[in-house]
Amino acid sequence: MNNRVVRAIAVKDMTSIWRTSKVWLGLVILPLLLGVIFPTAMAAAGRWMDISTLSGGRLNELLKQLQGVELSGGSLSTLNHQFIDYMLNYMFIPIFMLIPVINAMMIAVNSFISEKERRTLESLLFAPIEVKELFLAKLLAAFIPAYGSALCSFVLCSISVNLIVYPMFGSLMLVGAKWLLIMLWVIPVFTITAILCSVLVSARVRSFQEGQQVAGIIVLPIIGLIVGQSSGAVVLSPLLLALLGAVLLVINVVLLLLIARMNDRDVLFERQVH
Amino acid sequence: MIRLEEVSKSLGGKTIIDRVSFTVPQGEIVGLLGPNGAGKTTIVRLIQGVISQDGGSISVDGKDARLQGNAIRQMSGVVTESAGLYPDMTAEENLRFFARIYGVEKERERIGSLLRQVGLTEAKDRRIGGYSTGMKKRLAIAKALLHRPRLLFLDEPTNGLDPDGIREILTYLEQMNREEGTTTILCSHVLHQLENVCDSYLFLEQGRIIEQGNLAELEGKYAASVVLHVETGATSNDARLPSAYRPRAVGDGRLELTLPGRDQIPELLRLLLSYTWVHSVQIVNRSLESIYFEVRRTYNEQ
Repeated sequence: MNNRVVRAIAVKDMTSIWRTSKVWLGLVILPLLLGVIFPTAMAAAGRWMDISTLSGGRLNELLKQLQGVELSGGSLSTLNHQFIDYMLNYMFIPIFMLIPVINAMMIAVNSFISEKERRTLESLLFAPIEVKELFLAKLLAAFIPAYGSALCSFVLCSISVNLIVYPMFGSLMLVGAKWLLIMLWVIPVFTITAILCSVLVSARVRSFQEGQQVAGIIVLPIIGLIVGQSSGAVVLSPLLLALLGAVLLVINVVLLLLIARMNDRDVLFERQVH
Repeated sequence: MIRLEEVSKSLGGKTIIDRVSFTVPQGEIVGLLGPNGAGKTTIVRLIQGVISQDGGSISVDGKDARLQGNAIRQMSGVVTESAGLYPDMTAEENLRFFARIYGVEKERERIGSLLRQVGLTEAKDRRIGGYSTGMKKRLAIAKALLHRPRLLFLDEPTNGLDPDGIREILTYLEQMNREEGTTTILCSHVLHQLENVCDSYLFLEQGRIIEQGNLAELEGKYAASVVLHVETGATSNDARLPSAYRPRAVGDGRLELTLPGRDQIPELLRLLLSYTWVHSVQIVNRSLESIYFEVRRTYNEQ
């Protein structure tokens, strides 16, 4: 593995992200919207609004129901405490996962398909680069900004949320084993799944839009999680999160095996360069 | 330097390259000629090891193209028909990226010197999406030369260049070949440009090498008689001109004369000068272009 080559391609790709507005806007707007503004608004609503009047009382029912499935040990005193706990420690998790997954998918699809569209893939395949070095560089170039933007938004979110809710709870939120598992296990593995899916899809489609649409399927499980969380059908406990990461890891291995079939300059060239 | 033996390649059930064999000695400039779809680009891709042959063997400097492609690509520079450069990057950024890929030492100096050579120093900070075709082509050539390759493949290198640009690039290629012994394979449709640059030629038709050799060898084989256009005071019905020369007026005070061989030219000139003037003499059937068509005609008649 030639690190110099991997670094050169990854740096080139990451630099070009800032020149593609449709990609970098996602890296800024999505984390701000979903990762900072949404949880801060929920925290503010929980602190300063009358939760019992929200959604015509249906929220009360849901929160009561969730108390039954051991929402934070069922020890929270008021409805507002329960609301904040539910929103930040449950609903927010799958929503937050959307940030790195969507961004990684956008970057990876754009990176592969633009090399094809601009006929620069031919230049790369004519260079002394191993195909696996090319794939690794593309993976890094999508992972670093996608995961980085998720991390940044998490830090910003933790600060803004805790400034609001610390006086209520007397302890910090968005900390502990669950969030460590999310940030260091589930999200990195899921981000890689999104990238590997995008690589597979990009190798089979011709345009950026087509690639985006097909790779977009990766967000469906997250939508499922959001629905599951909001209905109380699935509660993301640390154990479930650890399992989720493990399942995604297995999926990644399968995807890598599928991609390895393309790890042949001959196959890649004949499929991608005309 | 390059040796192909009985190389075949099919794509989608169609034979693209059919039992091709040839060698290119170190330091030669070889013209690879043929119509569109003859397989020129496929041969370059096979030699570079980016696609694999179905049969036969390819070696470059003793290295097997199928097994040691990276070593071959490291010593090669390639200019493809599409420049293969990043339009959202400046000329300097493009060269810096490829310099890192090829592990170019002292990249700043090398990039500066190449940008000067291809006349792009002034435009080095502009994104190349806004470059003209000629500028992109010059930058692609600079990219191919970054790592001082021992082997150069140039697919239509003068496409989009103005006459000055064409002359500069061809002169530079000859200079590189002379000073650094760079082995070069040139594919071009503009045959008269190749005539003064190439040492030998490979003629490709429907995936087969139908002829090869240097200009003198090809002339001997395909231009047995010499057709001359002579700008002279003599006329086509001049009784002093032997009828065997088949004199024919071709306008503007020029005569077309057909001689059995090149060695007859001094005799003809002596005869003409004995009674009239001669301003210019041009062999018209010995250009690379006329030989190219003759080679293809002969092949297609077989």
